[in-house]
Amino acid sequence: MNQQPTADSGMIIDPRLPVPLQIDRSWLDDLTGRLDKGGPWGDYRLSRLALEGEKSRLVTSFEELQCLKHLGALSPLPHQTETARRVLFEMSGRAILADEVGLGKTIEAGLILKEYIVRGLVSKVLILVPASLVLQWVRELNSKFGIPAVAQKKAYSWGNDIVVASMDTAKRDPHQEILLNEEYDMLIIDEAHKLKNKKTSNYQFIQKLRKKYCLLLTATPVQNDLSELFNLITLLKPGQLGGQGQFAANFVVDKRKPKNQDQLKDELSKVMIRNRRGEGEVKFTKRTVRNVDLRLSPEEQSLYDGVTSFVKDQYQAAGGNLSSMLSLVTLQREVCSSRDAVFVTLVNLSKKLPEDSPLRDKIWELVYLIKAIKANTKAEKAIELIQQMNEKVIVFTEYRATQEYLLNYFRDHGLISVPYRGGMNRGKKDWMMDLFRGNAQVMIATEAGGEGINLQFCHHMINFDLPWNPMRVEQRIGRVHRLGQTNDVKIYNLSTSGTIEEHILNLLHEKINMFEMVIGGLDVILERFEKKESIEKSLYKIMLESGNDDEIRQRISTLGESIHHIKQDIELESTAGETLREEEA
Amino acid sequence: MTMTPQEVQQHFMAYLEATECTVIEKSPEHVTVKLSPQADKMLTNRPYYWGFVERTGAPAETLSFNFVFDPENYDERLAKTKEAEAKSQLAAPAQDPLLARFYGNAPVLPILGPGRIQRENIGYGSSRLAQIWNASREEGKCVYLFQQRDMEPRPRGRSTPYEQWLGVCFKVEFSCDLKREELFFLGISLSSRTIAQDFPACLEGRDLTPRLPESVHVRPAVLTLQQAAAALENHLIDKLSKLDYDWAAQARERLEEELLVIDGYYEDLLKEQDEEKKTLIEEQYKNRRSEMQWQYEPKVSLSVITCGLFHLCSPVSAPS
Repeated sequence: MNQQPTADSGMIIDPRLPVPLQIDRSWLDDLTGRLDKGGPWGDYRLSRLALEGEKSRLVTSFEELQCLKHLGALSPLPHQTETARRVLFEMSGRAILADEVGLGKTIEAGLILKEYIVRGLVSKVLILVPASLVLQWVRELNSKFGIPAVAQKKAYSWGNDIVVASMDTAKRDPHQEILLNEEYDMLIIDEAHKLKNKKTSNYQFIQKLRKKYCLLLTATPVQNDLSELFNLITLLKPGQLGGQGQFAANFVVDKRKPKNQDQLKDELSKVMIRNRRGEGEVKFTKRTVRNVDLRLSPEEQSLYDGVTSFVKDQYQAAGGNLSSMLSLVTLQREVCSSRDAVFVTLVNLSKKLPEDSPLRDKIWELVYLIKAIKANTKAEKAIELIQQMNEKVIVFTEYRATQEYLLNYFRDHGLISVPYRGGMNRGKKDWMMDLFRGNAQVMIATEAGGEGINLQFCHHMINFDLPWNPMRVEQRIGRVHRLGQTNDVKIYNLSTSGTIEEHILNLLHEKINMFEMVIGGLDVILERFEKKESIEKSLYKIMLESGNDDEIRQRISTLGESIHHIKQDIELESTAGETLREEEA
Repeated sequence: MTMTPQEVQQHFMAYLEATECTVIEKSPEHVTVKLSPQADKMLTNRPYYWGFVERTGAPAETLSFNFVFDPENYDERLAKTKEAEAKSQLAAPAQDPLLARFYGNAPVLPILGPGRIQRENIGYGSSRLAQIWNASREEGKCVYLFQQRDMEPRPRGRSTPYEQWLGVCFKVEFSCDLKREELFFLGISLSSRTIAQDFPACLEGRDLTPRLPESVHVRPAVLTLQQAAAALENHLIDKLSKLDYDWAAQARERLEEELLVIDGYYEDLLKEQDEEKKTLIEEQYKNRRSEMQWQYEPKVSLSVITCGLFHLCSPVSAPS
């Protein structure tokens, strides 16, 4: 389809028409061939059916979205349709889609792609996304848009018409050469802000790819420097903002501060669309958070104390060697979750030790403490909460043992629950989702990341325990609190006072205020923070090194402060750059 | 133009009927059908299976489908019958405790394997419908038909004269960075050179069959097929030349603007002193320009949806 006009592609110049003409005459050969052989002849009913079908699919107008009627179950939001319309009819199919996180850039890209396919303007498509999102893209295009995309697996996969692949694979040999020899009707790049530096091999590779239409998707078109934006636009439409020198002279005061904003805005609006949260119809429902403070039962408390002193002893014995100690802090976290979780880890720990190690006895002492525990304080509270809600609930835990324990515990109390975990294969995950949508009141999940868990039909969430990585907390919430959620989302955090859990909750809730923060932005904050060290590791360090509770509290508070500073910095920059990123109303 | 579930169903039924599929069950909301080998080959994408059947002569087992056109009402009806069944069958089978340990309180496993009838919801945009249209186009693209004569008795020995028409449905695509399409179904008489603008209207009311009726003769053709085809093409281009080409002018304007922008951008860069760098930039510049032309250059393409030879007896009143 739509080959590039070259001398040998059968273009005819007819003096009667002002444009070149391309005629496919293969039908005549077909007809004469059949006449010579006396058949076979087609069925007239089928011929008429084909004609009817063709009529109904006919693109009768240059400027009218056709794809919407082909979409069946999906009904895009007004801002998404409007974005698609503008990219198609005002930007000629080359654009940066820079909506804020969670507004459905994928849907917009899907709409645009679908429209071009329906119109027969696009058949060969390359979609480059981060490796972890490849399957999600394939699934969304297939299920929501009926676009037969495939994930790239082997070199021969490139032969398919619509291929989704990771950038890292695509730019490697032998793939790169194959791709550079192709011509793509459409190129889509997700997380395009990774192309901000024009010296990188990624950037140069994309620049060399031959493409007709091109979409760049990014929520953060400017992360550090205005020249990043210039580079992105140069990939799409070189010269749109003038040359590099002109751009710097006309629009840049400081690397993060634009000048001649109105003019810049004007130029940008020709190649970039940025929809913002809280604008127009896009409204997210509210999040309400309730922290449920619990006190460990005396048996649980003595186990916690036992484990804590065990961890401290070990840490001191190891001479402050951090890396081998990480699993020990996990022990403390596990006690706060369930005795099952801590039991599994203890047993594994003792298996690794030599037979005569004195540590084994210590571990067995702890196991006896476990045996004394008859009830799980948190589980009892969870059931109480669930029964009060009397609606669908998703319960998140970090530990598989806790998950299994809860499955049994809930069943014994007459609640129907299903598990969900990362290790399940696709089919099983989908099955669990179906069950949760159907009869099951509760889903107990150990995994929040990855694809496919969209739980808009559920608006209660219990954090049975909390991950130490704020991103993962955000992912958990994002499963429920997303576009399409019609109810306010209620989040319950179960935390046991006097344990490390209390400190973590304090950091996440009070310091980062992450439960009420609007979605998005967190990734940028963390990226900057973690330039030094991952936040999880910092926390582990604090837990191990601090002598007492007060010290922990103090150090966590410092950590919270520094995150807070980064957040403020970013907010400041973005108000400066706002006018720049902003679309005209 | 979109289609109602009823129209979609009509199209489906027309296809299933024409390909001789066996309908197992049918309601206004759905149809359960066992495909014929012909339909199975076209629809299920199992070339290896059919290759195997053809080479070994094994009896072919075609697939069955449950196509649902109105899922809402269908599910409602299904739920009602299920409820009624559940009432009659009080005790549900007990949970398997072992399975429950791993899967939670899950219901009994679904039925898999042969004998399973796959359900598919069919709406206007579903790929299955597009597939049926494409299959129809493939299998119905060349027809050879005769008009069935009226039953009135004719004097013995006098045969009826038939006129041979070449009917072609052209699809015309007007494209630049955007696109519009139009269909032209034209017909031309091989004996009188008459051209019919709206050929389907000429066919209306006539019974067409692939079988040659008795005692007829076909008027001698004065045009070869090639000449007829060329005449139709010529006629069509004439028609096209009378259309509005503002869209093409606008596309060329857009292209000019874009080219100016990149010319400006590369002008400075091409002053590069380093020869090696310069060739790279030149190449980039050339590529970018040709991408633009590819994207915007207006053109018209003609292709054919369906064509055929139609033998018609009574005179054709064709406004030409």
